[in-house]
Amino acid sequence: MAVSEKPTLASAVSFKGIGVRQVVYMALGAALYGGLSYLTNFLQLPSVGQVSIRPAIVIPLFFGAVFGPWVGFFTGGFGNFFGDLISGYGVYWNWDLGNALIGFLAGIAMLVTVGRYNRRAAIIMAEIWAAIGVIVGIGFAAYSDIWVSKLNFAGASSEFIPAALSDLIFGLILLPILLVAYNAAMRRTGRE
Amino acid sequence: MLINFPYIKRDTPVHRLDARTKLILLFAYSFSVIQTSNFWFVLVGFILASFYYSQAHLKWRETRRPWTFILLLVSILIIGNYFLSAGGIVQGVDLSHPHILYKLPYIGLLSHPPYVGPAPLIISVESITFLITQAMRNISIAMFVIPLPYTTPPSDFGVAFRELGLPDKIAYAVDLAFRFLPSAVRDFSTTLDAQRARGYELDKLEGGLVGKTVRLAPMLVPVVIGSIIGAEDIISAMELRCFGVGKRTWYIELHPRQFDRIMITLAITVFIAITLLNILGYFYTSGPLHVLHVQGIPKFLAP
Repeated sequence: MAVSEKPTLASAVSFKGIGVRQVVYMALGAALYGGLSYLTNFLQLPSVGQVSIRPAIVIPLFFGAVFGPWVGFFTGGFGNFFGDLISGYGVYWNWDLGNALIGFLAGIAMLVTVGRYNRRAAIIMAEIWAAIGVIVGIGFAAYSDIWVSKLNFAGASSEFIPAALSDLIFGLILLPILLVAYNAAMRRTGRE
Repeated sequence: MLINFPYIKRDTPVHRLDARTKLILLFAYSFSVIQTSNFWFVLVGFILASFYYSQAHLKWRETRRPWTFILLLVSILIIGNYFLSAGGIVQGVDLSHPHILYKLPYIGLLSHPPYVGPAPLIISVESITFLITQAMRNISIAMFVIPLPYTTPPSDFGVAFRELGLPDKIAYAVDLAFRFLPSAVRDFSTTLDAQRARGYELDKLEGGLVGKTVRLAPMLVPVVIGSIIGAEDIISAMELRCFGVGKRTWYIELHPRQFDRIMITLAITVFIAITLLNILGYFYTSGPLHVLHVQGIPKFLAP
């Protein structure tokens, strides 16, 4: 019977610490984020850049908070890449990188919580880092369009504000629900 | 609900290109064309991009959806940006003497209280040229972007990223994600049907914004948690097969042709040349080395 090693703080942060578990969760997270984004890509927010409403934003936040920053990075970056790819919209590298930053920064919470969210303080920590991740990630994606798409600051802001607000609302409300549900599921399977 | 990858199996020049070549062409072109607002450079890029797209032999009915999205996006992007800037911003070029055609009454930002007030909407030769350049730039990038999913088998992406320098584990995660995608969407569809049988209607969520968001949980939680629990079996199977121990070999091998090598070399060379020219343009304020920093408007249009 195979024994999986418990993730440690050092292994969560180190890129070399990516093992089998992280690889599978990366792939799973990216598939979930890409698939669910594809299903909601048609819902557009009024903005210069036609940003989409995305309840699935909770997935890179969740995977980052539970499995570490690199899993969050891959889930956000490649998940957005897959979502746009299967929609046929193509590849927009700055938005892929922005989504990757969302997952990575949300994963910083794991440095403190070690992936355990059975206390209110831990969930609050995850929420704070999720909010930071969304603001920084969407900010990077939107304001890099000043360089990529030659928007001006107002145009980039018209992308940033609706996208960040929408992601903050969906992410911050759904994240604690997922964390509590994950805790309960792990307790039931004896893996806590 | 099934997920269909947009890949269409066909024998065209773009289909025959190596996946790495297409990715390098996309990034080299994107990073080159965003460095300038010179109308003539962008026009040449637009013509080259059009030729590349034509070689993919994609039909309109196959790409209608992404093109509708892209054209709508580009229209809103350039027109919205124009109005938000009151016609006054032309990025990346010298603009000491704009040739104003019209000034229309408009609202803009002021440098004094109340900071928003009447300000003219400027229509100038430079701003119209910039609109056209911006449209050509974004559409030409789309012409490299859109063929990628339609002409590249999904199974090639993982090994392509590996050959481009990504670590084995990350490249394998890309491959594995493509395999997980149909299952994830199918699970979502199954969960939606199961919840509908219990009276849950996604279209009829009650409550305000917060209430509606909370009511999305019966959809997301079972799919996410169920997938994570199911992944434990996959993790155990991979560990039993000693995944990650030693260098990984791949079932699919990419074989670049001489043409692929030429295209990659050309793309990287052009990108480096444009980048150098762009940097030199900051030190030389006139002459041929400054060409990327001017719009290139003919003198008869802007005397």
